Amino acid sequence: MRVVIPDELKIRFRYPARALGITGGVLMLVSILLPWAYAPEALDDMTFYGAPSPLQLFFAVLPLLLILLLAIPLVGKQRLGKGAKVVAWNTTAKTASIMSLIVVAVAVAAIAIGLGGLVNVDPGGWLALVGGIMAVAATLFLPDSPEPTLYRVKSPKWLQILGIVVLMALLLFGAAYILGFEDADDFLMFAAFVVGMVMVLRQFGVFGWLGIAAAANNRILVLSAFVVAFAFPFTQNGSDANMSVASQVLIFAATALGLNIVVGLVGLLDLGYIAFLGAGAFTAAVLSESAFATIKWSPPFIVTVLIAGTVASLLGLLIGAPTLRVSGDYLAIVTLAFGEIFRITMNNLDGNDGPNLTNGSNGIPGIPDLNLFGFDFGKAHVILGIDIGRFANYYWLMLVVIALIIVVFTNLNHSRIGRGWVAIREDELAAEAMGVNTFALKLLAFAGGAFLAGVAGSVKAHYDVSVTPDQYVFLESAFLLAAVVLGGMGTVMGVLVGATILKLLPEKLRFFSDYRLLLFGLLMVIMMRFRPEGIVPDERRQLEFHDTDEELAEEVEEELTSHHAHLYPEAGGFVL
Amino acid sequence: MDLFFQQLINGLSLGSLYALIAVGYTVVYGIVQLINFAHGEIFMIGAFGAYATWMVMGQPTDWSAPLSILVLLPVMIIGGIIASVAVALLTERWAYRPLRNAPRLAPLITAIGVSVFLQEFVRLFYGYIPGFPDAKSAIPFPSVPGISGETIQVGGVLIQMTAVFTLAALVVCWVFLWYYVNRTKTGRAMVATSQDPDTARLMGINVDKVIMAAFAVGAALAAIAGVAHGLRYGNIDFKMGFLAGLKAFTAAVLGGIGNINGAVVGGLVLGVAEAMATTFIPGQFGSSAWKDVWAFVLLILVLVFRPQGLLGAKVVDRA
Repeated sequence: MRVVIPDELKIRFRYPARALGITGGVLMLVSILLPWAYAPEALDDMTFYGAPSPLQLFFAVLPLLLILLLAIPLVGKQRLGKGAKVVAWNTTAKTASIMSLIVVAVAVAAIAIGLGGLVNVDPGGWLALVGGIMAVAATLFLPDSPEPTLYRVKSPKWLQILGIVVLMALLLFGAAYILGFEDADDFLMFAAFVVGMVMVLRQFGVFGWLGIAAAANNRILVLSAFVVAFAFPFTQNGSDANMSVASQVLIFAATALGLNIVVGLVGLLDLGYIAFLGAGAFTAAVLSESAFATIKWSPPFIVTVLIAGTVASLLGLLIGAPTLRVSGDYLAIVTLAFGEIFRITMNNLDGNDGPNLTNGSNGIPGIPDLNLFGFDFGKAHVILGIDIGRFANYYWLMLVVIALIIVVFTNLNHSRIGRGWVAIREDELAAEAMGVNTFALKLLAFAGGAFLAGVAGSVKAHYDVSVTPDQYVFLESAFLLAAVVLGGMGTVMGVLVGATILKLLPEKLRFFSDYRLLLFGLLMVIMMRFRPEGIVPDERRQLEFHDTDEELAEEVEEELTSHHAHLYPEAGGFVL
Repeated sequence: MDLFFQQLINGLSLGSLYALIAVGYTVVYGIVQLINFAHGEIFMIGAFGAYATWMVMGQPTDWSAPLSILVLLPVMIIGGIIASVAVALLTERWAYRPLRNAPRLAPLITAIGVSVFLQEFVRLFYGYIPGFPDAKSAIPFPSVPGISGETIQVGGVLIQMTAVFTLAALVVCWVFLWYYVNRTKTGRAMVATSQDPDTARLMGINVDKVIMAAFAVGAALAAIAGVAHGLRYGNIDFKMGFLAGLKAFTAAVLGGIGNINGAVVGGLVLGVAEAMATTFIPGQFGSSAWKDVWAFVLLILVLVFRPQGLLGAKVVDRA
């Protein structure tokens, strides 16, 4: 659906269009001073004159930006100077108007559904809707601006660091705020606003600039990201509900990061990855101090983790050795079959159909909380006057695990092994011809990924308190895969984003739970069709999926070479 | 010895079911090198389509045996085939075709998405059709007089009529497939495309049509298998495609993927192996709880010792 306005119309109406757009923006701004809803139950309380609710105030940022984007270019090209070229004024204004309209539409729909009918939408809501439609119609008449070149602007180091710090602060604030929502409609409207802001900033070129700033200040970025993530429990005032979600997200993300090595870097489709997580979890459970554990030997957790990882990677070798020799498609099905074998076996090792190891479908309940170096993960602690509960303890532990995985991942990615993996992913025959030992490298990735899953599983066993076979079904593998695909195969950032979205949305949209899987299936098909490289794409990967796009190819190549020369001045010659 | 023949018959009828589904995997894989992960769901939709046909016919239960076998059953099968072929062609058109030149991982992930989507679609919306039962739990499949519950005694071996039906269906389909592939224009075009799609296109073959035909043939056989499954087990549910699809794929690999005869032989071997394993493996591991494990172990063993499958043609890795 693309509305094309002829150029002569655009030129003829350029000033009226701008005026109409600004009017639309002003109408939306004014509307927050009026009530949007008849009753306070829908969204937050939007029934007052002259006293906007928090959600209305957030929303107002979008029309405000819209007005600025439309008004500033009016001073003329001369006075804008460099600014005329650096920023994509018109395109950004278009995005801002569309996003404002979407947020208003979500709000109006939420009011209409929540209160039972459109009659409950008050004048403010209608005014905002009219303003939004006016703005969208007006910005359609603006000529498209060229791609923003904000990232080329030289900026002092302090400004770059400030940018990163502001970004991290926003992330922390946004995460705490978004987890705080109780009602699905509030959550949806705020989510629409966040998506809108992200789209506007992206179009403005802010992310391009941040990307350069982040590349230049890599250490500071990583450090501040961890400081922010570490600080997150302090924003929760001892509330367990959100920390439980947050720690689940981290366990899920850690597992997805392991899968990302196998799928994203090497291109091996593993559909039974959950079985390795399960192997780790069952190992840890059997070796725990639970009264139901079938092996009466409970080593310290450090030892258990290593055993769990080893068991998982041995299983990986067992499955990988025969199947990694044949075409990659077989691997997908064999791993899938392996996942089923694992689940059935765990179900059958109940003393009835086989030796008793797992208590069958009852699993192993009553697994005690972790105790590392005398630190009891089950107890709440008071740090800086804030209660830090059980979930926060696990959250921090998983944070450390994820940090380790990321360090390993990024180092591997740029090593001889990592380059071998990428070569295999892109063209196995060519890689083999160039002397890459494809079988050994694939097996290494497979077993290594399984090891990580085993480690994550051993923590999960203690976190979940009980381990049963039906926690480790195919659908969970599909979810992990979806996190990797959604976020962006082969990137750390992408997988973290994907895991967060996939775990957070079902938590907040509980009324939708019946349709969750349906949408999930649809999402995977649509992602593969329209954006197979994911939300945060790996540059090389993006090229692979859009190999006919010449422009993109040149762009990526230019960026890769400049980046590379910048980051690895010593690189050169043959690496493999 | 009776026990052996009894299990042989059980295994052959189970294997015919696998074989009918496996043909769909093998035909599609032979032409587009895609593991159509959603094929198990096509099988499920065939069964639900046949059930829907039965509902539309006014839920006939009291027809005489000959009338049921000659009219009711064929009509149900045709209804199932229409449903499954329509869904298979839609998925091909909207999900797989746009990805034909994408890296291999992409269509496989799409196939998983399609599979989950189809399962959920049936689960959530089947009951919305007026008068239809909710598909969130298993639905009892209509019994066809003359087949359901009837048995034949041959010596010491008791043969279910549903087993006879499944075996007969496989034989008929096999003959049809042989004729279709070797004697019709589309079938020969299919063979040509599977050998070399580019040259086939140069020879004037419409590759898109050939691929659609491959999906349609596979879906039709899967629908017949769906009806056979319903008659055999007496009920159908939205999840039935997952395990059956997995087994059928195993069968296809066992026989040599891309080879139609291989899929049939592989299916029969897998079915017999499964039936024998539950009888002749001693001790706890011979209980029926382990039969799926043995089937998959067989798959892994085949991949180790004979990756090209039992009737394996050469495996050419088309770069």
